[in-house]
Amino acid sequence: MTASQPVILGEMPSLSKLYVNAAATAARRRVLGTHTGTELPECSHEVRGVQADVANLTAYQHLIGETASDVLPAGFIHALAFPLAMSVMNRDDFPLPLLGMIHLSNKVVQSAPVRFTEALDIRTRVENLRGHRAGTQLDVVAEVREAGDGAIRWLGVSSYLAKGVFLPGIDKPSAPSVPAAFTAPDPTALWQLGVDTGRAYAAVSGDFNPIHLSVLTAKALGMRRSIAHGMYLASRALADVGAAKGDAFSWDVSFEAPVFLPARVALDISTAQDGDGAWQRSDYAAWSPHSGRKHFSGSVAAL
Amino acid sequence: MSIQGQSAPGPKESSPSPSAGQNAAGQNAAGQNAAGQAAAAFPQLRKAVVVGGNRIPFARTGGAYTKSSNQDMLTAALDGLIARFGLQDERIGEVAAGAVLKHSRDFNLTREAVLGSALSAETPAYDLQQACATGLETVLGLANKIRLGQIDSAIAGGVDSASDAPIAVSEGLREVLLDLNRAKTLPQRLQALSRLRPKDLAPDAPNTGEPRTGLSMGEHQALTTAQWKITREAQDELACNSHRNLAAAYDAGFFDDLLTPYRGLRKDANLRPDTSLEKLATLKPVFGKNLGSEATMTAGNSTPLTDGASTVLLASEEWADAHDLPKLATVVDGEAAAVDFVHGKDGLLMAPAFAVPRLLARNGLTLEDIDFFEIHEAFAGTVLSTLAAWEDEEFGRTRLGLDGAFGIIDRSKLNVNGSSLAAGHPFAATGGRIVATLAKMLHARGQVDGRPARGLISICAAGGQGVVAILEAH
Amino acid sequence: MDKYTQLVSRGLGKDIAKKLGLPQPVVLRRHEPGQPLVQGPVLIQGSTAGADELASTLLAWNLDIRRHAVPKEKLGAIILVLDELAHPDDLEKPVLAAAASLRDLAPNARVITVSRTAASASTPEIAAARQGVDGLLRSLAKELRAGATGNGILLADGADTTSPSTLGALRFFLSGRSAYVDGQLLAVTSGAGQLPDDPEKPLAGKVAVVTGAARGIGAAIARTLYRDGAALVLVDVPAAGDHLAAVANEVRGTALQLDISRADAGQRIIDHAVERHGRLDLVIHNAGITRDKLLANMDAGRWNSVTAVNIAAQLRINEVLLASEHFRSAPRIVSVASTSGIAGNRGQTNYAASKGGVMGMVRATAPLIGAHGGSINAVAPGFIETEMTARMPFVTREAARRLNSLQQGGQPEDVAEAIAFLASDAAGGISGEVLRVCGQQLVGA
Repeated sequence: MTASQPVILGEMPSLSKLYVNAAATAARRRVLGTHTGTELPECSHEVRGVQADVANLTAYQHLIGETASDVLPAGFIHALAFPLAMSVMNRDDFPLPLLGMIHLSNKVVQSAPVRFTEALDIRTRVENLRGHRAGTQLDVVAEVREAGDGAIRWLGVSSYLAKGVFLPGIDKPSAPSVPAAFTAPDPTALWQLGVDTGRAYAAVSGDFNPIHLSVLTAKALGMRRSIAHGMYLASRALADVGAAKGDAFSWDVSFEAPVFLPARVALDISTAQDGDGAWQRSDYAAWSPHSGRKHFSGSVAAL
Repeated sequence: MSIQGQSAPGPKESSPSPSAGQNAAGQNAAGQNAAGQAAAAFPQLRKAVVVGGNRIPFARTGGAYTKSSNQDMLTAALDGLIARFGLQDERIGEVAAGAVLKHSRDFNLTREAVLGSALSAETPAYDLQQACATGLETVLGLANKIRLGQIDSAIAGGVDSASDAPIAVSEGLREVLLDLNRAKTLPQRLQALSRLRPKDLAPDAPNTGEPRTGLSMGEHQALTTAQWKITREAQDELACNSHRNLAAAYDAGFFDDLLTPYRGLRKDANLRPDTSLEKLATLKPVFGKNLGSEATMTAGNSTPLTDGASTVLLASEEWADAHDLPKLATVVDGEAAAVDFVHGKDGLLMAPAFAVPRLLARNGLTLEDIDFFEIHEAFAGTVLSTLAAWEDEEFGRTRLGLDGAFGIIDRSKLNVNGSSLAAGHPFAATGGRIVATLAKMLHARGQVDGRPARGLISICAAGGQGVVAILEAH
Repeated sequence: MDKYTQLVSRGLGKDIAKKLGLPQPVVLRRHEPGQPLVQGPVLIQGSTAGADELASTLLAWNLDIRRHAVPKEKLGAIILVLDELAHPDDLEKPVLAAAASLRDLAPNARVITVSRTAASASTPEIAAARQGVDGLLRSLAKELRAGATGNGILLADGADTTSPSTLGALRFFLSGRSAYVDGQLLAVTSGAGQLPDDPEKPLAGKVAVVTGAARGIGAAIARTLYRDGAALVLVDVPAAGDHLAAVANEVRGTALQLDISRADAGQRIIDHAVERHGRLDLVIHNAGITRDKLLANMDAGRWNSVTAVNIAAQLRINEVLLASEHFRSAPRIVSVASTSGIAGNRGQTNYAASKGGVMGMVRATAPLIGAHGGSINAVAPGFIETEMTARMPFVTREAARRLNSLQQGGQPEDVAEAIAFLASDAAGGISGEVLRVCGQQLVGA
């Protein structure tokens, strides 16, 4: 990975300031036509001694259907690291416009549980800038350790797409990936998502991206209605997999059609066990019972 | 030990765990228990007998009992039981009942009903809740106390009102109200109130969906019905038989000593004596409309929301004799099971398909040893899916751990006096209805081939659960 | 008590009613446990040996007995003993002696004649004298005011003035239990019977079945029998089960939901009573229905349902009872008849036929049950204030209510008291009789 020393921030950056700054940067670039280059910044950002707010944790757990245990849900840790990840993408030397980026997929390796009482060191970086048939994509990597240089407990890789942005020197993939035809199975669950689903998740995750908040704010950014946070959907699916997954697991999700709110979302979770009946993995897929379009799919597997 | 009038024989030696063999290998345990183990396992226990029962007719939601609370209905059912058996001022060992849809004010529902009844005010009571299995579980729990000698008499029961269901305030309003209550100063109170939003004032309507899946019970059953390829015709036929059997039982006066009218209702309001396959065939499907297969579940072959209450009087043989009361049937044994429905491994209401094989195996019995089957008709599809699973070779081998299919039941022994499709299903009240009905049938049948007539009760419940029991003619 | 009776019983209403000559019903004295048997001294007129024996027996009851009237003293009761009449001329002396005391009767007082049945008279003179008492008593009862009643006890062969049931009937007539019984002559048919150890609990230890017990007169019978010490099996149709349960819980009985017109009703009643209560002593046939229609408009459905419930069911149940081993210990049956069955009632041909049938049945069953040492009687209520009569048109109801010597309707409890008396061992020497509880209805018989 990168050899450079991390930039250590004194505290977790404020997401709202980052969003404002991102909007300003976008405007400046549009006006001045400035361009920062075609390479990702190599330096990583780190905040030390981060601790979860227990009230916020409880609200998060209840919202996504987890029991309010002392262990941080994997999706909650993503939310905890998210402002730091945003701060890297908000650097002046970051080559892509932050606003309007689309979350394509997410992979998490939770190698050991994290409890809310523990202080955490969180480090984020960006890497793997590459082409996409619709633009340019990259990975945001976040590592969460026990404070004081412990082993990585939680590793997250989020892939984002800057739609319609094509950087010189980065090729489009030769063969655009054709999504496999999807046939909806019988659902094992049915979610009723109210129009305030985005606001509710914003309140517990801190991610006040306007596209999630209301019809008006979403329309301002070119969406026809507000959409559900991808990580909300994925975290609910993870919660629905249940306690069988234990404390150490890998979790991935690929997002396809966005979920416009309000919505009914059908979900299928199929679980595989080994010969002794122990849980091995659960694959999940979610779709619209109305149109049959797939919203997202993914899996949770034992490490 | 008994603290009532007569001293009861207590356990003479420590009992082997009653759960031995039940959960050793989960749902694959059926058939692995030695036949007849139960009889040898608890030799020192005395018998718990069903003396009789009483229920009020079941009303359709929004019908005769619209303004009646759970406590009202349970008290009415209790008072009818007390009148039938002359229990006025009697101190019963314990009364247990429950409701599925329950107001927070009803935290002591059963005790309050006892206090409002003609029983002695010194009768203790507790509430129990196991969804639709509540009524049967109260019978099993109290019967076990009687068998152990802890009590000599008991009343089991259940009640539910879908008409008078609790409506919660919204989560937002609830939190504000709780914070307001905790606030000590005016600024704190104003701060709490300032968080109130207009939408918080809209109440939360009760939701019949499974909390973990969001699917309603009917939608869940539609998946199971499709999985077991149960036809619309088979479901309608089962529903039709339920109505015919229940109507015939009423005509024969079968319910004269099982039921006390309430609020002007003298029979179960859902009963349609004149229903026919033709009429049922005209109904439109209501569940499973988005599945790949044809939707087969209609309002006619599904139970409607219902209000009602039931009670069962249980006793030791000595107590029944001392009070000159009949002994209709013995509570032999019971078993609970649960399935992992959350990810669709099994259907939500399929737990009895596992509980019955385990229960029969523990008692050294097969389906052929049963004279009456009382399989709760949550939906016609539930009963038929359960029977289909038992008849399925692969299910028997892979899920029940048997050599082949569990077995086929003689349909002429199934729900012979009607069941929930015709009577209705006020969730927690169904167990008491079935136990009292079966006990009376067993008593009337008496002996079969030189042994007491035997009946099997199977009740599925929300949360993927099922409770089953064996009763024998006394 | 009806509103009119309340209104004219006190204050301004009483004065106005008096001036206008309106009926002035009084609030009747009804039995309350612990209450004295009669309020005031009891004058015993008559100079026979039977009168003397009676007087000494009543003294033992701690009653304030007078053998001669004390001027101006308010009397609780006059007992006119006429047990040795040989000729109508013999009436004059004792009757006029009693007459002199009539103005001294306290409100709710009692006049009771004790005479012999005319049917057993050996000569026309004796018969004339005995039958004369009948007319005398009925007329006298109509002259009494302020809740006072007149009733007669008729002694058949084998009964005398101190036979158990003579004393039992005397107690009943003296007490508030007979508040709405007026102008009636009740025959003591034998010397059988036994006075209770505890007069407040005359039915202690008895197991009684009451049919039609869910409401009205049936519920009142249940409460009265319970008060008198009986253990109760309450029967009514399943459809009335909720009311039945409420009554059963009130009187600590057991409810048996049963249609008495079912073929197996008798056996089920016996089984229930024996299984739950260990025995069966008393059966009160109270269940009855009305399906009124002028005969010209009568249909088979109305006719048959009334016959089936009101008389056929009783006949069938009695047959089973009389054949049962469990109905052998001083068994008693009391049926509810009706004054409609005696005097007739427009629109009630079916009902009156069934109730007339009840009286015929009672008479003919008396020797059968007597063979087991038991008794059977009927009570014929007149206008009783019930839910049923409350639904009558106002004018009809007012007429029915006032056209009797007491100028008011009876209460269900009044019928129940008569039944409780006839069901008691004190009435064991009375069988095959019909006792009317009608306030001496003015029309008809």
